[in-house]
Amino acid sequence: MFEFIRNNLLSPFVGSLFPASIEVQALYTLDALIKIIVILIPVLLGVAYLTYAERKIIGYIQVRIGPNRVGPLGLLQPIADALKLTFKEIIIPSGANKKLFIIAPILSLAPSLAAWAVIPFNDVAVLADINAGLLYILALTSLAVYGIIIAGWASNSKYAFIGSMRAVAQIIAYEIAMGFALVGVLIAAGSLNLGDIVRAQDGSLLHWFWLPLWPLFIVFFLAGVAETNRAPFDVSEGESEIVAGFHVEYGGMAFSIFFMAEYANMMLISILTAIMFCGGWLSPFQGVPFLGEPSIIWLLMKTSFFLFLFLWFRATFPRYRYDQIMRLGWKVFIPITIVWLVVVSVLVVAQIPPWFD
Amino acid sequence: MLANYLPILIFLFVSLGLGCMLFVIGYFLGPNRPDSEKESPYECGFAAFEDARMQFDVRYYLVAILFIIFDLEIAFLFPWAVALESIGMAGFWAMMIFLGVLVVGFIYEWRRGALEWE
Amino acid sequence: MIEQIIFYFFAAILIISASMVITVRNPVHAALFLVLSFFSSAAIWLLLEAEFLAITLVLVYVGAVMVLFLFVVMMLDINLAPLREGFTRYLPVGILVAVLMLLFMALIVSSDSFNLNQAEGIKHAADYSNTAELGLILYTEYLYPFEIAGAILLVAIIAAIALTMRKSKTLKTPKPEQQVAVKREDRVRLVKMESEKRDT
Repeated sequence: MFEFIRNNLLSPFVGSLFPASIEVQALYTLDALIKIIVILIPVLLGVAYLTYAERKIIGYIQVRIGPNRVGPLGLLQPIADALKLTFKEIIIPSGANKKLFIIAPILSLAPSLAAWAVIPFNDVAVLADINAGLLYILALTSLAVYGIIIAGWASNSKYAFIGSMRAVAQIIAYEIAMGFALVGVLIAAGSLNLGDIVRAQDGSLLHWFWLPLWPLFIVFFLAGVAETNRAPFDVSEGESEIVAGFHVEYGGMAFSIFFMAEYANMMLISILTAIMFCGGWLSPFQGVPFLGEPSIIWLLMKTSFFLFLFLWFRATFPRYRYDQIMRLGWKVFIPITIVWLVVVSVLVVAQIPPWFD
Repeated sequence: MLANYLPILIFLFVSLGLGCMLFVIGYFLGPNRPDSEKESPYECGFAAFEDARMQFDVRYYLVAILFIIFDLEIAFLFPWAVALESIGMAGFWAMMIFLGVLVVGFIYEWRRGALEWE
Repeated sequence: MIEQIIFYFFAAILIISASMVITVRNPVHAALFLVLSFFSSAAIWLLLEAEFLAITLVLVYVGAVMVLFLFVVMMLDINLAPLREGFTRYLPVGILVAVLMLLFMALIVSSDSFNLNQAEGIKHAADYSNTAELGLILYTEYLYPFEIAGAILLVAIIAAIALTMRKSKTLKTPKPEQQVAVKREDRVRLVKMESEKRDT
């Protein structure tokens, strides 16, 4: 027993991460840090300009022109918004649980950013090329409920509490459908690594997984819309009934952290859909001389398209009723995904060309 | 293998740190003028009658329990899907039986009305 | 070097948060500390290269089980005073269970059959997929335990429904599929009426 403690606890891992010296380890860490910043800055800028794009696009859909005062075409609007939110007071309600109230927005932002660690931007550009990439994504999206549930409870306000309970029941219902859809992609690609999933779609437009996994593609994207609590699934915020839902008591920067988390999640869902179902960085014109080159530009174009769908949905559809949301998640999406899982696995086992030969 | 996870750990800390930093910036740059009315929980113009942390319908718990079960099922599906091409027909049918058993459970909860909301 | 630092860091968090779970007074705080301890044990499992198990721990325990715990402690509004009263009454049983657990842990740790004396974890190449290896044996060699797990999950579904379903007779549910299927002819009847002559 004592021998065990000496052997195991005092030197738990004799081998080290890197065979090399401390300088190399420090360099490796620094390298990772720089890459993280290179990923985070575009994501945060993307969040800022997604709010601008949202207001502009919804404006045009509703025959308005949207923001156009701050800077040319209103392009400085998100910066003005960010500055304004920074200088607003953060109110901590008297009845609130102070510590949890402060932790909640941070817990909501962290997983939505950390999930970007495994996203491959092209064949080689990925921060953490782990084997369990898809599993990691699913685990991190399941952490997103904590920010909401803690915010709702810590605020000690009825609207916040009702909003967060609604949001959590909705998110977990759609997470199952999302998980099944991910398993479908996994069966088709035979790997959990996101880069390998894209490589498995190599060939042409028809080799991409949107075709053999069509129902899962739709379910995944719609479940993503529901997971991010976006319209038409935004009963957890439901302005007309529970004011703003779980973040009703938050103001200033604390509110904008929630906001950033929501938009970062939208971008994450869009880029994941592009990677898993639409060939990621692969070109739709594979084989054509110049246009057929795989490039990050294709990935960004596909991602923008799905982001546009998010905004389009918001401008088009009225809000679902809560029982309809739960019905759609449990009684429509889950059966569809289970059936299609069986179909895909049969296709893979029988090695049906052109996808699974 | 572990070397691949180090950036993730750093990323987690960076994003937690970013959240904290934004909060601190907002806290110090914004004004701080507390007021008893401002700090009272939001209600539509009247004082709250009761504690906000009310009891909820039992079906919320039921949904959470069912969620755990399906989440476990998904966790079982992951290794199967990765290994599907190497475990052959036996492995394929193993999962089909497993899925079949759970579909029975799913049909049961559907028929019992556990998925109805009102 | 870095590995040791990470190990001790998460081990310290694990021990601190686990002891907070049983000492803090607020049940919601206790549940959140339990989340933290699950999270740090996942990090320690990851250090042992149990990639799949570590992420599944986060996915299932943190992402699902603890959500249920939080639901219960947040919404049931448990009154803690009566729970505390029973503390001394259940103390002997609690101590007995604790001693038994300790004994079992000591037995497992000291026995040779688990091969725990190997100080160094087995190292694998960067492309080693823990998940695939698990899949290779779980659905072939451990087929029966796997199917039994499926049956247990089925029992869990049925038990959960049997315990919590209380059909309220007063509630009326609209059926969305029927609502959508409604046609104009079902609801609106166009009636042609002769215009009446005005009395003069």
